[in-house]
Amino acid sequence: MIRTLNIVFTLTSIAALVGVYALKYSVEETASAKAAIEHTISRQEADLSLLKADWAYLNQPAHVGPIVTRHVDQLGLQPLKQAQISSFDIIPMRPEAPDNDAMTALFESLESGNDPADAPLQGLQ
Amino acid sequence: MAIISADANETIALIGARKARSNLTKARIRWVIAVLVAVFLVVCGRLVQLGYVDTDTTIEGQTRDLISATRPPILDRNGMEMAVDIRVPSLFAEPRRIIDVDEAVEKIRTVLPDLDRNWLRNRLEGNKGFVWIKRELTPAIEEKIMRLGIPGLDFLTESKRFYPGGSEASHILGAVNIDNQGIAGIERSMDKEDVALLQSIGLARGQALAPVNLSIDLRVQHAMHDQLADALVRYQAVAAAGAIMDIHTGEVIAMVSLPDFDPNDPSTALVEGRMNRITSGKFELGSTFKTIAFAAALDSGSVRIGDSFDARFGVRFGRFTIDDFHGKHRILSVPEIYKYSSNIGTIKMMQTMGKDNYRAFLTRLGFDDPLVTELPERTTTNVPKTFSEIVAATASFGHGLSITPMHMLAAYAALANGGNYITPTFYRRTPEEAQALYRRVVSPQTSAEIRSLMRLNALEGSGTRMNKLSDGYRVGGKTGTAEKVVNGRYVTNGLNLNVFASVFPLDAPEYAMIVLVDEPKRENAQSGDTAGWNAGEATGRIVARIAPMLGIAPNFDNSIDDRLVPNSMR
Repeated sequence: MIRTLNIVFTLTSIAALVGVYALKYSVEETASAKAAIEHTISRQEADLSLLKADWAYLNQPAHVGPIVTRHVDQLGLQPLKQAQISSFDIIPMRPEAPDNDAMTALFESLESGNDPADAPLQGLQ
Repeated sequence: MAIISADANETIALIGARKARSNLTKARIRWVIAVLVAVFLVVCGRLVQLGYVDTDTTIEGQTRDLISATRPPILDRNGMEMAVDIRVPSLFAEPRRIIDVDEAVEKIRTVLPDLDRNWLRNRLEGNKGFVWIKRELTPAIEEKIMRLGIPGLDFLTESKRFYPGGSEASHILGAVNIDNQGIAGIERSMDKEDVALLQSIGLARGQALAPVNLSIDLRVQHAMHDQLADALVRYQAVAAAGAIMDIHTGEVIAMVSLPDFDPNDPSTALVEGRMNRITSGKFELGSTFKTIAFAAALDSGSVRIGDSFDARFGVRFGRFTIDDFHGKHRILSVPEIYKYSSNIGTIKMMQTMGKDNYRAFLTRLGFDDPLVTELPERTTTNVPKTFSEIVAATASFGHGLSITPMHMLAAYAALANGGNYITPTFYRRTPEEAQALYRRVVSPQTSAEIRSLMRLNALEGSGTRMNKLSDGYRVGGKTGTAEKVVNGRYVTNGLNLNVFASVFPLDAPEYAMIVLVDEPKRENAQSGDTAGWNAGEATGRIVARIAPMLGIAPNFDNSIDDRLVPNSMR
């Protein structure tokens, strides 16, 4: 009776021992993997912070402004004038109903082979 | 007991073998217990001892947390970065682990040749645990040093402040020192509030801090910086400064003071003449003060906008006579006094109101105390406690008292927004928050009258050059050409401090602006050197550039200007 019990205990202890060691090594492995990942993260965060700073720098008016000034001649740029700014309010609204008479006149002129849209183009040539 | 003999001193004990063994076992058990207790005591003692060990986590007197502490990014009102943290490696050494100092010195100098050999050797010798070698390096240099394979050298990642805009917003942002602590501007005021506390308890690490939004609009800031830099060259001035403020919320949209410095290199801030002229410079702002005097007089009720004053002769105080610069020498109506910037007329108006009322009005506008904004750079004003007749007279057109341009800007904002004083701020503020802080200084009617006077001055008075450049944006304002005070005396060498204070668009006022040009010269032989020619023109150019950014559409309808004139003026 006691003999079997002893054997059982011994086997259990051996199993527990192996288990604990396995656990220990796997934890160590996980810890080192974690440390590696943390290191990568901090590296990448540092890189990211530099990239963000780059992005902020390249977007600054202080950076874009001189580039624009340098290419003013090539691109034919000019400062915006007040007269060039307007609003939608001053564009006339589309007429409520189509202008039937004008449409009829247009179609008739097209049918007779006279395209009014060509006229200004021919003037150019 | 009877058999005890005489020599019974010796007790004869007969111990059986079994008992003897039992005693021996007990003794052994006692020994084992004693040894075990001793071992446990040693273990406990060591634990206590370890508990008392104070590991030195400081780096040359500072905690590691403080060194890797980050600061919140600073964004403008549209979310553009104005200041960001970058993580940079810093090289340190542990001298007690360095084997061959000479070899280490030579190797380090192959990568960092600008380090002095003797300085480096002194640094690496000895038995210290930690010395900095060079801070804030680049990842490329870190890689090279690592490849050298010197024992006892290592890197620590530090946070370094980077200002992508360079000098553009330098006076607003301020700067930080190498330990990432704010030493000027918003950076310093953030530290005073809570960032320093977060850093000291180690919470400010990584990217944890929420970004701080300023009221500044970076595009407007750039345009203003650009135009003032242009003014500095165009008028060969020694300095130029300007600020724009939202008159309803008190948010400062842009603030520039030239010459400025590069916050990425904080030592450049210490050069003479690079102070922030808007908040920490006090000046006699000349005729821009007339707007204040007019508002005081009109609001007191003793002067009406339809009144006229005799400006034929100068005003005499003892042996002094105060005369007009652009003298008309006739009877002038109130709008004409403003338009021609008549000193005589302004003095008469101030006298009608009473000098004590005028003095009280300056107090109401906050001209007695330093203007407290978030910026630590501020200064006291210089306004006489009580006004004598002559001091009050000169004060009505801006002589004999000095305030900061920020004071003037806030005053113009209050006079234009319907009469509510609001303290300027560099952080975001909603209209609701602002309304809770409003302090009424003049009536809405006075405000309307002042707006029409400012527009009149732009159309017909000293602001016409400005108005030509910013046509369509309904700008109005007042010029000020102030003689400079050197050693307590006015110098009349033609070098003045020229100011233009303005508000736009006047039909629905949104922004107040002040522009200073210090000691401007004539642009060419045909131009003048009064404020309208330099500060005024600069204002016009700035408005023409920034109004589209601020969502103000040009409008060339002349009836707008007519509608500005209040009924009391018709």
